[in-house]
Amino acid sequence: MEPDTVRKVFSWLAALLLIVGPLLFPEAEVYLLVFGLACFYAALAMAWNILALSGLLSLGHGAFFGLGAYAAVLLQQKLLMPVYPAVVAGGMVGALYGLLWGLVFKKLRGAYFALATLASLEIPRVIVDNWESLTSGSMGIVGIGRLPALDLGILTLPVGAGLRSQYYFLFGWMAFVTVLHRQALRSRWGWALRAIRENEVAAEVLGVNIYGCRLAALGLSAFLTGVCGGLYAHLMGLIEPAMVFSLQLAAFPLILSFFGGRFAVFGPLIGALLLYPLDQLVLQPLLPQGHAAVYGLVIILTIFFFPQGLATWFRPQSKTS
Amino acid sequence: MGIWQQAILSGLSLGSFYTLLGLGFSLIFGVTRAFNLAHGDFILLAGYLAFALWHFWHLPFSWILILCMVSLPVAMLALRELLHRLPEPFELNSLVVTFGLAIVLQNLFLGLFSADYRLLLLPTTVVLDLPACSLMMTANQAMLLLGSLAATAAVYLFLYRTFAGKALRATIQNREGAALAGIRVDQMQLLAFGLGGVLIGLAGPLMAVNMYLHPAGGLEPTLIAIILTIAAGVGRTGSLLWVGWLLGAAESLTALAVGSSWRELVSALVLLLILVGRPQAGAKHDIAS
Repeated sequence: MEPDTVRKVFSWLAALLLIVGPLLFPEAEVYLLVFGLACFYAALAMAWNILALSGLLSLGHGAFFGLGAYAAVLLQQKLLMPVYPAVVAGGMVGALYGLLWGLVFKKLRGAYFALATLASLEIPRVIVDNWESLTSGSMGIVGIGRLPALDLGILTLPVGAGLRSQYYFLFGWMAFVTVLHRQALRSRWGWALRAIRENEVAAEVLGVNIYGCRLAALGLSAFLTGVCGGLYAHLMGLIEPAMVFSLQLAAFPLILSFFGGRFAVFGPLIGALLLYPLDQLVLQPLLPQGHAAVYGLVIILTIFFFPQGLATWFRPQSKTS
Repeated sequence: MGIWQQAILSGLSLGSFYTLLGLGFSLIFGVTRAFNLAHGDFILLAGYLAFALWHFWHLPFSWILILCMVSLPVAMLALRELLHRLPEPFELNSLVVTFGLAIVLQNLFLGLFSADYRLLLLPTTVVLDLPACSLMMTANQAMLLLGSLAATAAVYLFLYRTFAGKALRATIQNREGAALAGIRVDQMQLLAFGLGGVLIGLAGPLMAVNMYLHPAGGLEPTLIAIILTIAAGVGRTGSLLWVGWLLGAAESLTALAVGSSWRELVSALVLLLILVGRPQAGAKHDIAS
């Protein structure tokens, strides 16, 4: 068989396993939980990568995540908004903060942009930590309900009914973000982002609207990350400033994307679906404290030995991008 | 009135400590142009080493200081080997790799020392007590202040008064020019990492005595070191001290004026202001080396 065919068959088998697997093994609750969260982190990684594809690496996406989580929960509790509109509004709050970055960090590139994002992760965290009358401070907000049924008009999805339906919901969310991630690579806009990443001056000469394209990537990336934050609040049932505005959460998408391959449509997804279950199912029982060191080790090994990520191994040699 | 004077004093000793944090970072950044995001975690490494030596082997503090200042250069030289072998693009990869290293170290601390806050407890003796202007200073605070200032002065004298120091400064200012003048740039890199390691080895135990150690506590020293390095200009010891004092004073006055929980905001805002306000912050020639 051609290597290309092998690759396609393998991908379809993997996708089929992810869809049908939960129906075959209905009792494996731990697996449903872990793989559901792996899908969630895959979506988070792709959301981050949409900005990274324009050449800007962020270390502060935890800010969008935390703002999305807090906005979603507070809108429900204080303004009695329904769950899903509140989660989307949380994403918009994240996007607003992202647009602010776009405005203020307009001239920053490379390491200086990364450092600025790192510093701007701290600002919302300290404010949420101190604004106790609204956010109950470092105590956090507890007792957040599971995701309710999602009414799509034609059909109603019982999202929070059990771990299996939660898994399928997160799988669907991952699929949705994958479509957007594909656009950021393959569409006309995606090619513009690639041109900006490779050579800004040349892209500008060709007539690419550098600022507009980048701002769109930043806004979309921040919005999706904010929605992930809102979903996370309902998945975990509680939020605290140190938990949602954490560097660990900001680091996650970077590591998963680099490991899986940040220039491939399915790269961050492969990274998340391999690394997160490995960490949770294999390493966590062995090393209850400190098992997350694996993420640091993986990113160092990735940079040294396969800087393009795993996805290049699944790709025919002739096509390079 | 007294409370403000006390705030200025604690700002001064905090600022001197910040200079110590920035000094090691600045030397290493100077010769590599790599933002070491694990800088604060190496300081924590020295701090936890000091804590372990005190807690498990009950060594006297002077021994602990010496052991840390000898062993941290080894860790920093290992870091230099790692960075030396990094594939291109160097700027981005060094950022990501040191970030990964920070995560590894954080989890190492978490595994070995758990998430509890740790403090190396030395007997508190008051060395300075002026009730008239309500100033008070404990031996630990004095050690923090004097240790930081002594280290800064030593590095200053080394950089400006010795031949090796001048060669190191030349390497920091212009690597190609220094190489053309016959300076062994690779040896200067070893020197900078070794010296940086000694400074980190001093900062760690001082931090363990005066502030609490926490596995995730490395980010704040890293941010402060970055602020000082960018604001002062690379390798300029004298300005580092001024910036350190300003930042320390700003932080303790903020803590006094609006509460200590807002203190963390100061360094983040200052870093943003410096980054955004720097002329040509994104220009390529600025970061090329």
